[in-house]
Amino acid sequence: MGVGRRLGNLLGSAGVLAAVASIAFGLPAVDRAIPAGRPVPAGEPYEIGGGVTLVPPAGALLDVTKSRPGPDRGTALFLIGAVRCAVVAAPFTGTLEEAAARLRDKITATRGYQVTGREADVRTQSGLVGRQGGYTAPGRGGRYAVYLAGPVVVEVTISGTDLELRDVLRTIEESITTIARTGTPSPARAGP
Amino acid sequence: MSADTAVRPAPATGRRVPVHLPAFWLLLVLLAAGAAKVTLLLHGLFARYPAATVTAVALFALYAVPFWLFVTALDYLEREPPLLLAAAFAWGALVATAAAIPGATAAHNLVAKLTSPRYAAAWGSAVVGPTVEEVLKALGIVVIVLVARAQVNSVLDGVVYGALVGLGFQVVENIVYAVNAVALAGNGDRVGPVVATFFLRGFLAGLWSHALFGALAGAGIGYAVISARRRRSTRIAVAALALCGAWLCHFVWNSPVLVDGVGWGPYGVLLVLLLKGVPPLVGILLLVRVAREREADYYAAHLAELDDPEISTEGERRALSVGKLRSDARQYAYTSAGLRAGHAVRRLQRAQARLAVELSRAHDCADAGCADAACTEGAQGCRSPWVDRWRAEVLDQRARLRVLGHPEAVPPQPRPRDWRRWAGPAAGALALLLAWAAIRALGGS
Repeated sequence: MGVGRRLGNLLGSAGVLAAVASIAFGLPAVDRAIPAGRPVPAGEPYEIGGGVTLVPPAGALLDVTKSRPGPDRGTALFLIGAVRCAVVAAPFTGTLEEAAARLRDKITATRGYQVTGREADVRTQSGLVGRQGGYTAPGRGGRYAVYLAGPVVVEVTISGTDLELRDVLRTIEESITTIARTGTPSPARAGP
Repeated sequence: MSADTAVRPAPATGRRVPVHLPAFWLLLVLLAAGAAKVTLLLHGLFARYPAATVTAVALFALYAVPFWLFVTALDYLEREPPLLLAAAFAWGALVATAAAIPGATAAHNLVAKLTSPRYAAAWGSAVVGPTVEEVLKALGIVVIVLVARAQVNSVLDGVVYGALVGLGFQVVENIVYAVNAVALAGNGDRVGPVVATFFLRGFLAGLWSHALFGALAGAGIGYAVISARRRRSTRIAVAALALCGAWLCHFVWNSPVLVDGVGWGPYGVLLVLLLKGVPPLVGILLLVRVAREREADYYAAHLAELDDPEISTEGERRALSVGKLRSDARQYAYTSAGLRAGHAVRRLQRAQARLAVELSRAHDCADAGCADAACTEGAQGCRSPWVDRWRAEVLDQRARLRVLGHPEAVPPQPRPRDWRRWAGPAAGALALLLAWAAIRALGGS
């Protein structure tokens, strides 16, 4: 093989490497350079997905990269300072107790996370019934709540340090009481 | 594209490990990095859902076997080196997936940031999936060309390597999807969601998935490689067009259009799946058929030039080019002259195929003034020892068949309205219906 063809092979290889690297590392770098938080209109219901809505906490930013409203399910992540409030709506056919147990399992599946105290019954302004509890983690703590809204379960997890939570917990709890279900979920799909 | 440019036979000496090529080392390094990343990913899934992960790996590994056999059998006449086929599959399974995971996540995020979460939820998969994944898979075919350009000597070769890159990607992606379905179900380490995903992504979505898209992109790259007499801009345009076609097929499949089944419930969803999947499948299969016929014509012409019915008859050359006809010829020999005749036909077909390839190489070698180390100049022009070896094998099997009373390896004459013509499509439709019923029974949607 001549030097010219070997050089061509080297250039081609470099091109492939550059293309793979730009996808594997370049795109994430561009993504990190653009902030994900977007302000949400104050006092207006935000559609989580699956027909579930919530009025976001005052001053909250919506993390658009972690929020995916869909016809049958959805997620939304609100950022209130350093406190994160994640809301997940998904189809569910079990009881409220089963839904609460499932959320507890999800929380404690993360190493170092422990559920604390007893759960309390809660109710939203629209009449959805649910359970609420607390959890701790190294350097962090939080609350969780779970509601049944017809065939949809709504899971809420709030996390932050004690100091951060103390300032905004009341605002977030008020926001959670606005959870309501307004629509009918439609079937999901499959794709490559 | 004329028959002359449809195929460019690989030199017999082209199967050495190309350690002198930078692309070879690039391939090795990226495969190692991809393997490390995919292993970590699977280890993480296994730690949380061991039974589900093992089941998913086993099911989708088994699922890949018939795909592999089908794809590699497409190029019966000039088989590709197994190591190169494995490298193509590994690129899809390890490199493309390892790079696609962070790349697609970031691209999804960027779509959400530049538009809205609602748009990203609806159209993110349709836009990001093809853009990131088709490019990464196509790069795998480019690397195969850079490592072993001589082995990519027909459009069909591009199809084979592209399909295998896509198959590798499809298998690993499906494993991850299956275990994610278990996590989403939230009922612990159960295999039910894995089985549902297997039917859903393996059967209802599997026939028109990454292997198909990769085959289309590979066809374009294959054309660009072998069409040396065309202008560079034309070759690049054809390769780009094929990649855009793969992107479009993927986009249509991922798009949320008609996703609710036009209001006809589950049957409407099934109809939409077929509407989105069948046209690309049929189109690409037709493309493969044309590419295969061109390659078969090229090699059969070398056998025909010998004008020796002991080497090959016209019927045998026709049967040699189509998998079903080859199989029918073996079956016909088995039913009319016994098992040994069936085996002899199989060996005759293989020997004829190898002889055809060696004849084409010797022909190319003669064009180059017998400069290839694998052929020598003799009284009858350029001669490869492999031509003599396979000619002897053909004659040996012919003699065996003659003794068994079945001298010609041809399929039986087709009967009018033979029900077996419809057996394949009917079996495919039945498999789809069974998969659909299984998914419904398992509670999938």
